[in-house]
Amino acid sequence: MKKRKEKELEQDLFSISKANRRVMVGFLIIMLALWCIPIYSLLKDSLKVHGIENYWYVLTNQVNGVPFYQYFINSIINAVCASALLVLICSFAGFAFSKIEFAGRKLIYNFVLMCLAISGPILIIPLFYIFKTAHLYNTHMAIILSECLITIPFGVLMMKNFFDGLPMELMESANVDGASIQRCFFNIYLPLAKPAIINLAVLQIMWSFQDFLFPLMFLTKDSAYTTTVAVNAFKGAYGMTPQNLGRYNAALVLISIPSILIFVFAQKFIVNGITSGAVKE
Amino acid sequence: MVKKKRKLSIDKRNNKAGYLFLLPLIVIFIGLLGYSFYFLITNSFRDVTITFRRSEFTGLLNYKTIFADKSFWRSLLNTFILSFANIFCGLTFGFIISIILNFKIKGKRFFHALFFIPSMLPIALMATVFGSMLEYKNGIVNQLLRGVGLGQLAQRWLADPRLAMWAVCSVSIFMIGIPIMYYTADLTTISRSIMEAATIDGAGMKDQIMLIIFPVLKNTHKTIILSMLLGGFREMERVFLMTDGGPGGSTEIVGTYIYRATRSAGSNIGLVCAAAVIILIVAFVISFIQLKMTAKNGQV
Repeated sequence: MKKRKEKELEQDLFSISKANRRVMVGFLIIMLALWCIPIYSLLKDSLKVHGIENYWYVLTNQVNGVPFYQYFINSIINAVCASALLVLICSFAGFAFSKIEFAGRKLIYNFVLMCLAISGPILIIPLFYIFKTAHLYNTHMAIILSECLITIPFGVLMMKNFFDGLPMELMESANVDGASIQRCFFNIYLPLAKPAIINLAVLQIMWSFQDFLFPLMFLTKDSAYTTTVAVNAFKGAYGMTPQNLGRYNAALVLISIPSILIFVFAQKFIVNGITSGAVKE
Repeated sequence: MVKKKRKLSIDKRNNKAGYLFLLPLIVIFIGLLGYSFYFLITNSFRDVTITFRRSEFTGLLNYKTIFADKSFWRSLLNTFILSFANIFCGLTFGFIISIILNFKIKGKRFFHALFFIPSMLPIALMATVFGSMLEYKNGIVNQLLRGVGLGQLAQRWLADPRLAMWAVCSVSIFMIGIPIMYYTADLTTISRSIMEAATIDGAGMKDQIMLIIFPVLKNTHKTIILSMLLGGFREMERVFLMTDGGPGGSTEIVGTYIYRATRSAGSNIGLVCAAAVIILIVAFVISFIQLKMTAKNGQV
């Protein structure tokens, strides 16, 4: 504990006067107050009319014939599957771009990087058509595939950045021993890439929980809704009486819980993941 | 000769392995992305409904209609305005907070988490909460204003066409988590000796921050600006849930524009495809600049 404190002391970039330090703390407190406004507003609204009962009501009653926990289950299924698929694709591709010299590597890599520009709204019509024709409309698969697709460029970039940091010699020495590239990857590089894989997986889970557009577009069945589109559905289902507004806000609080939990337990992975996925030279 | 042959066989082996590892990527890219591009481009020249009952070739008509459509340009402009709001908040609030949190301050970890959390929550949720906060009668913003005796300042924040865009942009203050992450990571790379030298030369806190740290983090600013510029094209739920593009289309962004055009009954999907192609080209240009800029940095 003491050691960490000393380390933090060392981290001061430059020495500052007491007055300046007070200004800084003052600024933080103002920001904290600003942050409290939405939190207070949401909590206050969620306790309207029936108080804490609202939460109980939301948890035990069905909305449009679907129990509340179903939305969480849907979200979790989507997030975990999208995350697994993404890790599979990106760790293979990142390794290939970083350690294997094959014809057209630069060209394909630059194309993938350009795809960072692709955004969800652009793809909704073609994907809608594809999923309709493939009978994937209203299924988890549609959401998983589209969420995965949109994160692939970032994931590839991140995994390549990570593999670039691992020495090439590991591969060369294995080559001399006669091991194939595939074996090199599975036995040497993949185990070493565990931290990056965890970062990427956590990020995708978080983004999947944030996603709104794809579920809104590709799901029309209440039983397949994820938590984020459920927000939208509740608005219609609960109506605008003060009593229902309280329940609606209680539902919002409950929906935010998984994201906060993910963040609290995986803050390190999220921060590492985002900063290592920046486009760097 | 033997050497050359051996090299060739290695090349061949590498090619095979390279594409084998890329196989999952290539399959999903061609199947979903490649087909999507093909779909967008071919249909942008046609008059099509979403059910494909009606489909006829109309040449450049869709592009002409889009280019003449004021609300499309409005949505593109608003997308950039929203991006600039994000960039502005990131480069000011985000920058200042990451510097403050770089010092030894009590509750540092708590503050870090506090500033990150809004960026981790579903934006749909944030937008809903802010929508109700800015509501005229019961919204907390107007209630606070009335509470401190500034009742005349209470506004219909989201229903007034002059204010709505500002109201939507104001949420950006809460979205500074990602800039803070980038800054915090890069602040650790600044060499302490520069800062010490500056202190000895008598530089105050303001000079240290504005004349040394801010210029040194040039590349971090660039990363943040470019990623947020592209991020604007991904925005959708903030506007969709706060104002739904209204009042009178004053807050429409490309995300909501396309969604609305897709969902309105009997609409010409070809037109939406043409709009998507134009947006895609704009985004690709930004992405291209990003690649060029980072490539240059690598050489220096």
